[in-house]
Amino acid sequence: MQMDFSVIIPEIAMVSLGVLVLILGLILPKKSLPRLGWFTSFSLIGILALVVLNWNNVGTVSGGLYLIDQFSQFFKVIFLTAAILVVFGSMAYVDKHLGGQAEYYSILVFSTLGMMVMASANDFITMYLGLELMTISFIVLVCFRRNDSESLEAGMKYVLLAGISSAVLLYGLSLIYGIAGTVLVVEVGMILAVQQSLPLLLVGVVMLVAGLGFKIAAVPFHMWAPDVYQGAPTPITSFLAVGSKMASFAILIRIFVLGMFGVSLSWGILMAILAGVTIIIGNLVAIPQTNIKRLMAYSGIAQAGYILVGMVTASQAGVKAIMFYGFIYIFAVVGVFTAISYYYNLTGSDEIKDYAGLSQRSPLMAATMVVSMLTMAGIPPFAGFVGKFYLFMTVVENYLWLAIIGLIMSMVSVYYYLMVVLVMYRDRPQDSSPIVVSLPVRMTLIFTMLVSVVLGVYPGPLSEIINKAALSFFMH
Amino acid sequence: MPTPSITLEHYLILGAVLFGIGLFGVLTKKNAIAVLISIELMLCAVNINLLAFNKYITPEAFIGQIFAIFVITVAAAEVGVGLAIIIAIYRNRLNINLEDFDWLKW
Amino acid sequence: MVQFSMHNAWLVPLLPALSFIIIAFITKQWKKTSAILSVGSMAISCFIASLAAYGVFSNYTLTEEPMVYSVKWFSMAGLNIDVGVQLDPVSAMMMFMVTLVSTLIFIYSIGYMEGDQGYSVFFSYLSLFGASMLLLIISSNLLQMFVAWELVGLCSYLLIGFYSHKVTAREAAKKAFITCRVADFGLLLGLISLQLIFGTLDIVELSGKISNFEQYTSMGIMTIIAILIFIGPIGKSGQFPLHVWLPDAMEGPTPVSALIHAATMVVAGVYLIARTIFLFAEVPPVMDMVAAIGGFTALFAASIAITQRDMKRILAYSTISQIGYMMLALGLGSLTASMFHLWTHAFFKALMFLGAGSVLYALHHKGDIWKMGGLLRKMPVTGYTFMVGCLAISGVPPFSGFWSKDEILLTAFDSGHYILFTMAALTSFMTAFYMWRLFFLAFTGQAQHEVQVKESPRTMTLPLVVLAFFAAIAGLIGTPWAPIWQNWIFSVHPHHPQANTMIMLGSVVLALAGMYLAYNLYYLDRSKAERMAEKYSFFWALSYNKFYVDELYLWFTHTIVDGGARLFYLFDIYIVDGIIVNGIGSLTKSFGSRLRLVQTGSLQSYALVFFLGVLAVAVIMALTDPSMALGLMGGVE
Repeated sequence: MQMDFSVIIPEIAMVSLGVLVLILGLILPKKSLPRLGWFTSFSLIGILALVVLNWNNVGTVSGGLYLIDQFSQFFKVIFLTAAILVVFGSMAYVDKHLGGQAEYYSILVFSTLGMMVMASANDFITMYLGLELMTISFIVLVCFRRNDSESLEAGMKYVLLAGISSAVLLYGLSLIYGIAGTVLVVEVGMILAVQQSLPLLLVGVVMLVAGLGFKIAAVPFHMWAPDVYQGAPTPITSFLAVGSKMASFAILIRIFVLGMFGVSLSWGILMAILAGVTIIIGNLVAIPQTNIKRLMAYSGIAQAGYILVGMVTASQAGVKAIMFYGFIYIFAVVGVFTAISYYYNLTGSDEIKDYAGLSQRSPLMAATMVVSMLTMAGIPPFAGFVGKFYLFMTVVENYLWLAIIGLIMSMVSVYYYLMVVLVMYRDRPQDSSPIVVSLPVRMTLIFTMLVSVVLGVYPGPLSEIINKAALSFFMH
Repeated sequence: MPTPSITLEHYLILGAVLFGIGLFGVLTKKNAIAVLISIELMLCAVNINLLAFNKYITPEAFIGQIFAIFVITVAAAEVGVGLAIIIAIYRNRLNINLEDFDWLKW
Repeated sequence: MVQFSMHNAWLVPLLPALSFIIIAFITKQWKKTSAILSVGSMAISCFIASLAAYGVFSNYTLTEEPMVYSVKWFSMAGLNIDVGVQLDPVSAMMMFMVTLVSTLIFIYSIGYMEGDQGYSVFFSYLSLFGASMLLLIISSNLLQMFVAWELVGLCSYLLIGFYSHKVTAREAAKKAFITCRVADFGLLLGLISLQLIFGTLDIVELSGKISNFEQYTSMGIMTIIAILIFIGPIGKSGQFPLHVWLPDAMEGPTPVSALIHAATMVVAGVYLIARTIFLFAEVPPVMDMVAAIGGFTALFAASIAITQRDMKRILAYSTISQIGYMMLALGLGSLTASMFHLWTHAFFKALMFLGAGSVLYALHHKGDIWKMGGLLRKMPVTGYTFMVGCLAISGVPPFSGFWSKDEILLTAFDSGHYILFTMAALTSFMTAFYMWRLFFLAFTGQAQHEVQVKESPRTMTLPLVVLAFFAAIAGLIGTPWAPIWQNWIFSVHPHHPQANTMIMLGSVVLALAGMYLAYNLYYLDRSKAERMAEKYSFFWALSYNKFYVDELYLWFTHTIVDGGARLFYLFDIYIVDGIIVNGIGSLTKSFGSRLRLVQTGSLQSYALVFFLGVLAVAVIMALTDPSMALGLMGGVE
């Protein structure tokens, strides 16, 4: 069988890049290692350009196991953009706190590759491989500060809990394979649609929900997230928050919307309940936090709840809303975390109270954090408002209570975001010397802020693109 | 008297029991390595499921077997990373008792 | 030129927005440049707006058929949101008024904020506010309007809390923001329902569909939607019982109070209802509610203003009261009268706030009117312009307030709502009384302070003079003998009330009576006032303590909580002043603090929660799917 490899050029390029960075790390003299960051980021930009240029070059590889459509292309754009921003935002941090640039960037590239595989995977085996490639890379990255107890503890928790969750996920997958007799998602969908509901299927679906719920940090499978987010190096936290979450959503959409549409009635309400609980718990527990990374972890849990709202109806509008919100979400999260990690570089603190007077020391950092947080809170005219609007519009008709929970909890979230804003803008800094923001970080901050504002004011074109991508998803 | 043949249910029950044992170990063992081993047990349960389904549901295709081989491979990688972390953490704290790892909380 | 302005009205909000961006990112270091940019952009906007308004008013057909330019904003299956510019007499009038008042207040701020650390930041916020307010005005779509609505709320938050070193300012900012957001929640629900039922939020389309709403929905639903939408204005325009944030908002710099909390933002609520009057007109009960709340608020706030001592607070309560008037007129179905009062009020209230700012500037921000006195001689420009404002607000002909207030009184009388009419008339008397009380105490008599007072700089007095001019004459375009205004701005068809000489005379008499009483008590013999206060100490205390609304709320919640009825408590905190901020905060906070303890840090408890979660999910799945439940109970096979 003739295979068209041209469609997977971006993936091949990613593998080459990962290996190349690793090799360069071995041959380059030690003092030029920091340049690997620039190298990696520009290569990633090149690969992003490849994906964008090949936007309409769609097809399948390996007899339908690997699927490139606009849906997966869009997610790849999300992952690559996040990776680029994270690399830009993490250069200063890596050089100062981590070392091991070659390994760091190379593993980062591989985890991005894992996400890309997840977006395109059309069968359980490929999905699992992508998922594990991403997860194992992340485990390494989480405990990259290998002399720091907190980082190691986070890594330990992540490796064991992720292991448990993948075991559960696999068990679910094996049951569904047993019922359907195939691992191709589309075929599974067709078989399950005519299948009687079996208890085994129930167990399988439950385990799938749990395994993927773990990855997106939905309550009650979220327990790992705050600890790991807090302990991990800050740039990795942001990548974990966007990349890992959105890649798992890509799989979640693929499996449930395509593979489980026949049994859609029973899991729609389940998703609604999970989304509601996740939104409530995430937002409530965020309020008393004193560590900014932990606060963002809980806020990230709440955000997962919002995104989960798009799953409830299993409709094109829902898929579209998830993609739109996901796109906005990267910029908001990366914006905040870039500021956090840069601030940590200078002061060595992640405590919210140490952010006092940031607005006087670095207006840019403070402004980016405010804009990103307001986006996440869904306050117009920032992009998050439009995103939330899309998400909640899909459920207003059948699950009005969920929309109301979402709206009320958005107001609660305003409260704790405002607390951080108050500290930054109102309190007097202990040390009021201005902060000089380095070039790559400044670029990242300005870029993320601009996107949050521009997409909020004029979301039209992006929304058109996503409409088409979401449509392509249902074409199979 | 015909020997009772082994059916799909037997394999599934074996898998479920093994999964349960692994689960029990994960929840109760205090030693990080023991927990890692328990996770392996759960993965073995998955493999038994996969192979049994392959034999009884899709005997003409090797989907389940291929899947199982991938699971074994990936699990090995995961254990490798896990052990590395355990060694690092032992160097750091001279202790791999899970109950003592609660610096990150609330 | 006029054509160009009408076709490009989108420039009006865009210019201040650009100046905000330029100031925030580029010219922050150069104070003068920032100020000039801010004032200049607003002045150009004002120029364009005045041309556009001229175009609209010289073309009478536009009332029935507004000019709309829109582009697609975003869309999804079954949902298209357009944004655009809608030009009709109401929006043209508002645009002109807002740009004019803003320009003057911006100029005033150049002097007032002199030497402040955050000079440029202040102007950038002002510009952002101007842009958002103008966006709100020209919106052709309710969602677009909501976005702008939230933006002005955000700016108001930033500006109230501008003096961030003051604890009261921070608290006030927080209170304003959160109170308004609670109200906006109602508004948002209303808008979503409109979208769901009618499939559009475009104002023109919506008005077409709502005129025969029976095809889409029932009367009951319409009533609920109208009430939900009305909740937004109650919060934003400071109507009873959500009025509590507005007096506190006076913690912000005085130009801000003048611009945002008197002339423009707080009337956004009135404007929103004016924009959606076609909806309210379909549900008479809600119209009555609007009128009743408006009338009550007018009287209630006026009776509080009578005894307050702080200059800006008196003005704040007066603002609440005057907005009550506008709501009253709207509720009675008279867009004409309501908008007319909005128009004149903007000038005289901005004038008085700026005058108060000028006084505070001279007295180093000591706002107690009993500690002023004799300012008229030392600050003649401020004093006499303030006097014009007082004449206008108390309704002395031919000053502007007289004509608009007369229009409202006439409407109330003609519609046969005699109770509301009486309330409005009584308010009119009280208004005259407390404004002149303020005037006599602050500007006449012996000086009660030890500060060397001198007149404020030219940049501050110039806007005062211009505003005084408008406050004096702005009403002349709507007299019963030359009803130009009435032919411009109306809903459905023009409204020509017959000049009712009795009412006109009556309102003049009431105003003069109020003035005379104030003259008697606070000019001739101030001790009389104290004796009065003692004699009627009960009423005095009632009014001074704002009818104990805050205390009542507090007492009520305390008793109920002690009684153990926590459910009521939960409900009540949403309406209660102060507790809105602290109650929700501490309540959710305590929830949050308990919940976080689940996170013990122990890995295995996490795993346990994980598996309990699996179980819970299984139970939910089984419960929602009966066939599964049966299968599960029957065992594996």
